[in-house]
Amino acid sequence: MTAKITVRGLRHEYVNPFTRERVTALDGVDLEVEDGEFLTVVGPSGCGKTTLLGILAGLVPATRGTVLLGARPVTGPGPDRGVVFQEFAILPWRTVERNIAHGLEIQGVPRAERAATVARFVELVGLRGFETKYPHELSGGMKQRVAVARTLAANPEVMLMDEPFASVDAQTRITLQEELNAIALATRKTILLVTHNVDEAVFLGDRCCVLSRRPGRVKTLVPVKIPRERRTWQLLTSDPSFAATKEQVLRLVREEVGAGDTA
Amino acid sequence: MGWRAALATWAALLGGVLAAWSLAAATLPMPAYVLPPPTAVLEALVDLARKGILPTYVGESLRRIVQAALVAVAVGVPAGVLLGMSRRAAEFSYPLLSFFQSVSGIAWLPLMLIWFGFGERTILIAVNYTVLFPVVFNALLGVRSVPQIYVNALRTLGASRWRIAWAVLLPGALPSIATGVRLGLAYGWRALIAAEMLVGANGLGFMIFSAQPFHLTARIMLGMGIIGVLWTLLDYFFLRPLEDATIARWGLVQR
Amino acid sequence: MRAGVRGVLPFAVLVLAWAALARSGWLPPVFLPPPAEVARTAGEMLADGSLWAHVGASLGRVALGLAVSVPLAVTAGVFVGLNRRLAPVLEPIAGFFNSLSGIAWLPLAITWFGLGWLSVTFILFNTIFFLVFFNTLVGVRTVPRILEQAVRTLGGRRRHLILQVLIPGALPSIVTGIRLGVGFGWRALIAAEMIATTTGLGYLIYDAANFHRTDTILVGIIAIGTLWLATDRLLLIPVERWTVERWGLVSRTGV
Repeated sequence: MTAKITVRGLRHEYVNPFTRERVTALDGVDLEVEDGEFLTVVGPSGCGKTTLLGILAGLVPATRGTVLLGARPVTGPGPDRGVVFQEFAILPWRTVERNIAHGLEIQGVPRAERAATVARFVELVGLRGFETKYPHELSGGMKQRVAVARTLAANPEVMLMDEPFASVDAQTRITLQEELNAIALATRKTILLVTHNVDEAVFLGDRCCVLSRRPGRVKTLVPVKIPRERRTWQLLTSDPSFAATKEQVLRLVREEVGAGDTA
Repeated sequence: MGWRAALATWAALLGGVLAAWSLAAATLPMPAYVLPPPTAVLEALVDLARKGILPTYVGESLRRIVQAALVAVAVGVPAGVLLGMSRRAAEFSYPLLSFFQSVSGIAWLPLMLIWFGFGERTILIAVNYTVLFPVVFNALLGVRSVPQIYVNALRTLGASRWRIAWAVLLPGALPSIATGVRLGLAYGWRALIAAEMLVGANGLGFMIFSAQPFHLTARIMLGMGIIGVLWTLLDYFFLRPLEDATIARWGLVQR
Repeated sequence: MRAGVRGVLPFAVLVLAWAALARSGWLPPVFLPPPAEVARTAGEMLADGSLWAHVGASLGRVALGLAVSVPLAVTAGVFVGLNRRLAPVLEPIAGFFNSLSGIAWLPLAITWFGLGWLSVTFILFNTIFFLVFFNTLVGVRTVPRILEQAVRTLGGRRRHLILQVLIPGALPSIVTGIRLGVGFGWRALIAAEMIATTTGLGYLIYDAANFHRTDTILVGIIAIGTLWLATDRLLLIPVERWTVERWGLVSRTGV
């Protein structure tokens, strides 16, 4: 297997604007994500998960270290890395279909081709009949479906997801997790998803990367040995290997929370 | 950016503008009255202040706008709330209020000159008119936009009509009232300047307008500066806090 | 249909009260002519084209003022808003010029440009430009950063950010700025026309006051109110509905 994303010796520092203190958010992160892999990243709050994702997206500059996409170094944001944000970062002034088409529009894809692609992804994320609605007319779960479809329609090499289901209710989250699993399998995309929810991380990931508390680095990579095709919540709740992996990851995260001054 | 840096940038910008202004006034080939140097404006300030003209004029303009503000709050707010309490009264007065609000006091000035003569009375009526209507209009809108559930909640507690008005409608309408007062005074301040130009014998509007035929441009610029500063101070220390306090404190969002 | 009746009824009552008051003889007709006479005067002025000429002059000035200042103000507001160092410095300065907007520019305008349309356009420009600039600037600065980031990760460049994120995101503010600009500009125009021109509705009513033609003044006042309401209802509110409301955004005020 070849590495799709390679992170080496990554360090990120910033100055807290209020205390003017220099903070090291990440220090010495080494990580490889394989082609077609679904990697989930968990860790205690404030461990720099979101910063790591921001650096991969090219929105946050790294203080030291390298990030490679394939063999190319990452220097800024680009359409080769699609991002799904925690908040619903779709444009309120575009309809569902125009939001999904946005990446293609920027790439200069001709209208007819665009329409066909949009129709395909509308279907994939289950938004048929909502194409001409505006975001404020949609529920939180539907907005996040639009965001996923927009990212996938632009056909990035990898998809980066920052706590994508943190702002939806528990019931919707379960549905969206199962849908995302199915979409990931269908499209064979390389996906890196950041979350603080251990259940979600184990449910979705081929491997689950546990970050240490600040300054964050990779503590352990836990493989999830359940074929992704078999993953539905109904099957997994009674699966002893799922429970065991979850327990393992949870323990690793707890160690990090306990290691600090009550985080 | 911290406030120190902002202040430094500000000072630099002000210095730059003053320098460019002085340079332009000194070198551009045009009569001095077209663009007097900043020093001339300063001289005008010292001169008018020493003669006592400036304090009098500023005092007169402020007296008129404060008087109009007090009337608007004392009369306009209760009137708007009362009209808003009845659906029929609100529906009847809404179009009239929005019409009279949109005709500025200055447009009535020619008629008022005939009705009330050429003088102080006309100025005051024009300014009061201009401030009053936005206040009444927005108080009415504010009362009408208070969610019915609050009213119903108090009704189930057995509250009287007047208690509901005092405890629910007035506070609920406050953000809208604050907006109305701010807008009304913004219009009123300008109407005052215009009225003082057209019929005044004192005040800031009269000061800048009467300076024009004599090409006392420094005096005009001084007057404009004072008009701007006075409004900025009034807005910053009085109107904006009023609006922010009501909207921010109760977490109400203004549409 | 019913809404239409409800909107007209208050005005019908107002006209009846006016007619009764004029008929009672309590006020001399030169103070308050009966509605019928005002209607007759309006009819004559419509027939001989003089009302159209004044209306056209006023509307033309507002249109010119808007056409010149809005594109400039939006462009300037977006580019200053993009600059994180410049924006916080220029925002209060724009606010200061807002507080000076309107008629206070008139004496300086007459000094620089003489009596006539140039002075009036200059006043309208200053009024509309700073209000739209200020509101665009504030609007651009309140567009959520996450939307910018999202479009950048889709491969969007500066041009995409400006046209597809910042301008639509600032649109609620821009529309508010234009509404305020037209509101303040229209009032300033009426006052300026009284002094600086020989056409337009402001001139019409001020000139009529010299001859005690209260009927002509009332025709002018009604035209002023009607035109503003028509502009607001037929132009500004539909624009807001088509953008701000359709997108589920909340409009913001800012004087």
